Amino acid sequence: MIGAFKKIWDFAGSEQKNIKSSIVLALLNSVFYALQFAAVYVVLRSLTSGDTSKINALYALGIMVVSIAGRIILNTYSQLQRVHAGYFMVANKRISIGNKLRSVPMGYFNKNNLGQMTAITTTTLTDVENTAPVVLVTVLGGFINSVVFALSVLLFDWRIGIIVFIGMAAFLWTTSLQEKHSRKGAPERQRAQEMLVEKILEAVQGISVIKSFRLTERSESAADSAIEESCKKNLFIEKQMTPYQIFQQIVLNLFAVIIMIATAALYLNGSMELSNAMMMFVAAFMVFEQMKSAGISIATLRIAESSIDKANETDNVPVMDEGGRDIIPANFDIAFENVDFSYGERKILDRVSFDIKQKTTTAIVGPSGSGKTTMCSLIARFWDVKGGKVTIGGNDVRDFTLDSLMKNISMVFQNVYLFSDTVENNIKFGCPNATHEQVVEAAKKACCHDFIMQLPDGYNTVLEEGGASLSGGERQRLSIARAILKDAPIIILDEATANVDPENEDRLQSAIEALMEDKTIIMIAHRLKTVRRADQILVLDGGHIVQRGTHSELAKQDGIYSRFISQREQAENWHITGQTT
Amino acid sequence: MNKKASPVSLIMDYAGAYKGKYICSMILAIISVVCGMVPYFAVAKMVTAMIGHEDKGLSYFAAWCAAAAVGYIAKGIFSSISTSISHTATFFTMKQIRQKLIAKLTKMPMGTILESPSGYYKDVIVDRVEGIEVPLAHLLPEMTANVLAPVLMLIYLLTLDWRLALISLITIPVGMAVMSTTMKSYGKNYGKSVEISGRMTNAIVEYMGGIEVIKAFSQSENSYEKYETAVNDNAAFFYNWMKSAQWAMSAYNAITPSVLLTVLPFGILFYASGSLMAGAFVTVIVLSLGLLEPLIAAMNYTDNIARVGTVMGQINEVLASPEIERTNKVSSVNGSRIEFKNVTFSYDGEKEALSNIDLTIPEGKVTALVGHSGSGKSTVAKLVAGFWDVSDGELFMGGQNIHDIPLEVQTERIAYVEQNNFLFNETVMENIRKGKAGATDEDVINAAKAAGCDEFIRGLDKGYQTVVGSAGGHLSGGERQRIAIARAMLKDAPIVILDEATAYIDPENEAVIQSALAKLVQGKTVIVIAHRLSTITDADNIIVMENGTVSAHGTHETLLKNSELYRDMWAAHTGTKGGAA
Repeated sequence: MIGAFKKIWDFAGSEQKNIKSSIVLALLNSVFYALQFAAVYVVLRSLTSGDTSKINALYALGIMVVSIAGRIILNTYSQLQRVHAGYFMVANKRISIGNKLRSVPMGYFNKNNLGQMTAITTTTLTDVENTAPVVLVTVLGGFINSVVFALSVLLFDWRIGIIVFIGMAAFLWTTSLQEKHSRKGAPERQRAQEMLVEKILEAVQGISVIKSFRLTERSESAADSAIEESCKKNLFIEKQMTPYQIFQQIVLNLFAVIIMIATAALYLNGSMELSNAMMMFVAAFMVFEQMKSAGISIATLRIAESSIDKANETDNVPVMDEGGRDIIPANFDIAFENVDFSYGERKILDRVSFDIKQKTTTAIVGPSGSGKTTMCSLIARFWDVKGGKVTIGGNDVRDFTLDSLMKNISMVFQNVYLFSDTVENNIKFGCPNATHEQVVEAAKKACCHDFIMQLPDGYNTVLEEGGASLSGGERQRLSIARAILKDAPIIILDEATANVDPENEDRLQSAIEALMEDKTIIMIAHRLKTVRRADQILVLDGGHIVQRGTHSELAKQDGIYSRFISQREQAENWHITGQTT
Repeated sequence: MNKKASPVSLIMDYAGAYKGKYICSMILAIISVVCGMVPYFAVAKMVTAMIGHEDKGLSYFAAWCAAAAVGYIAKGIFSSISTSISHTATFFTMKQIRQKLIAKLTKMPMGTILESPSGYYKDVIVDRVEGIEVPLAHLLPEMTANVLAPVLMLIYLLTLDWRLALISLITIPVGMAVMSTTMKSYGKNYGKSVEISGRMTNAIVEYMGGIEVIKAFSQSENSYEKYETAVNDNAAFFYNWMKSAQWAMSAYNAITPSVLLTVLPFGILFYASGSLMAGAFVTVIVLSLGLLEPLIAAMNYTDNIARVGTVMGQINEVLASPEIERTNKVSSVNGSRIEFKNVTFSYDGEKEALSNIDLTIPEGKVTALVGHSGSGKSTVAKLVAGFWDVSDGELFMGGQNIHDIPLEVQTERIAYVEQNNFLFNETVMENIRKGKAGATDEDVINAAKAAGCDEFIRGLDKGYQTVVGSAGGHLSGGERQRIAIARAMLKDAPIVILDEATAYIDPENEAVIQSALAKLVQGKTVIVIAHRLSTITDADNIIVMENGTVSAHGTHETLLKNSELYRDMWAAHTGTKGGAA
């Protein structure tokens, strides 16, 4: 439990002072709450002494009014501090995640990572916003209040006070017992829950397979048994927890009864005044209330803790050192000098060296897993090399700021993300100052103009987020128009990922050709035509460049390249027939 | 949100099966409430005895204290068991809802499921249903307890002193009146808050979704600023809203339960005037302390009811969605000839994807579907595969109307191979074995060999026993593709549909995939949708689709002569095609 408090406290960062003052105000608030007992005391005293003067009514009323007014003011400010802490500590976390993303290596991003990051920044942090400070103030405030309460009872009558303290200790003990126990069953339940999610996702995504292979008839459906299992685990935990819940519920109440009997005994043996004894009877009902509600909130504390844990996962995202300068390279020659790269233990590139002269086309060819994509992404510094260096115009890519590096490069096919903005703004995303004429020109070159003009508002049509309203090929060509307008001197592309919409291949090809005019190009090539026209072909295998040269040079050699050529010819001329061939 | 039926009646539809348990839980809750009142009576008795100087001995007090203790213990036990029973019933209810939803999935058109984001159904079946656990489990017993307890106490108070009992209720309308001052602007502020937090979510989703593009186009400064502003605006809005509304909430929370505000002064006045006995007065004080807290808790449950109602609405929406209309009669189909007679189909009930189509797909031949995107060629394939039912007209398979064929029988006759084939998170062996019930390991390995994937499977960590990861995530797209082909081979269905199955999913292994497909289609009725027209030039029949109708059909040669559309497509294709054409 202490661990959970510390987590929330650390998470609060600069909002700690607001949490602190919220707790202090909550404490003062409870003093005004306790003032009610003074009012009760006034009444009890007048009853026991047989004092029937009506002025006591005024006293009681006055004390109650002060108590209520004090609570309104203090609670208002305590809550406001808490709300401020909750919302702003989360806002700060959101901003720091956003800031961090700026220096995360581009290679880190994939659909999965980004989806998770988005979910954390929106949903998980909203949970934190609503639970963490509330639970901290309720639980911590509740405990502190209880202690203050118990102390005042102690001053009032030390014997009863000691009973109160023992009662609280007993409650804390049962609570921790319960917590320990519930933690034991938690991982199993968690596993059942994960299985449930996975099996249901399978039932949804694999529906066509399940139906076409009649999997439901063959055995009980996996989803059904996962549902059954999740239910069983929940029931098991529920059964296990019940005795502890009973125990926890009863323990404070029993101590309230002990207070009563002790009070009665003390009153009877004459060591406690009548009015004090009656006061203690009333107090017996109230003294543990704060403790109880704090105890109930502990469950929420666990939820807040796990939300914070999840949000803190974003701290583990890798970051790149970005202490670069704004560099404008003198030329756009690209060079790899003894470049090593590995993902974890797996070596991807092993001392790779080559040169690319500016305004030439280099095609990279090789079997899957040979390191082609990695090689391209090192130029744009999606990752940092593990050894050697990559240079543009003689400058190490690590010396650039990311912005000044990316100004020189268009990566066309990594992500065709479109913003929910107008078509025009999407095209000029990279150069906000472009004129409408320039936008149209780029769109025409990328074969987008015709379909844009057919949209309801032409260039002013607002796209849905991610560009969902357009076909894959249209999105692809819009992203090319964006790159054409950006007019970066270096183009990196992967023909396979380019081909999201095989139907309009001709239009896509002319868009790509427009983009490549007069540029330094490095591409992962699959089409024979592309490879043939390249000024330089690099054949990659197992992290090494095994062949290099032009098509006519390499075609003559026996090796991976000639095998690649014949496979491509075969694939590109394949016919489907029903007959045995 | 569908809100025709009340949330309570919706819950009862599902929870009804466990009515007995819920009733049992409620009865126990009521018993626990009654037991929970015993201590108050006990204290009232003891206090009355003291104040009336009744001169009772310790045994009297001990007896009442024992009664109080028994009351508390009984309360703890009964309420815990009550909650436990209602939890159990709730877990069963949840299980039942989930299984109903899963069963529903198999009755819905596959297309509906596959075209929704896969997270949607998982969200409903797992998360939404999970969300009703706490409200549903606690609703009945605790609501009962929290409403019943104060009502019973109030009745008792009325018998003690009806004036004081009524006076004790005054704070409720006062508290509500204060609260209502903020209600006027609540609607407006709430609307604004939804808007602002929506704006923030959009900003986060866009920033993260587009982060690669943002970085690639050197726009991180601008985009980050936008993100930061949206996040801060959100926090500031909520804080300012609370600032204007918090005092009223605090006042409500302070005033409403402060029954002593009225009970104490009026009690003194009544006591002073002699119309109220000291014992009764103290009893009222003690009881009124326990009066309002539960009422306030009960009021908070209305929130829970609304939440359960929302979830039930979502669940019912899924359960009420249209089902595929098929016979349940077991029947078999002879022959694989497929015939469309006057078939019209629409995905959304408005725009026709197919209009009055007549076409025949002969048994044992290769039929190719070509056309631009949106022409309806994929729709034809999906109707044959049973993803959807035709909206109008008739579809025949082997001479039998599709409505008279159970979906399972239809899908069993079909092997549907697409670009992205679903694999289960099981071993490679089991994934392929799904193709045929009871297939031996040897059968599986033979199919894998025929599909050209034996070699790479043996290269995996654990060969055929390698678990493929969620949705086959540990494998590359091309590897998944080949395992799916092996699975289809094992199935040996008479009809094979290739839906863009040869597109650039894995260019390095395209030739291997092609030869696997060639083996798969031997001697089968084949329907192929291929982007590369050269692939299908040898097809027995090519159907050219345009705007949801059949524009022309025939062999490659006849179409080149007769169909302008086909000629254009062929020209576009050969114009860009690389290789030896």
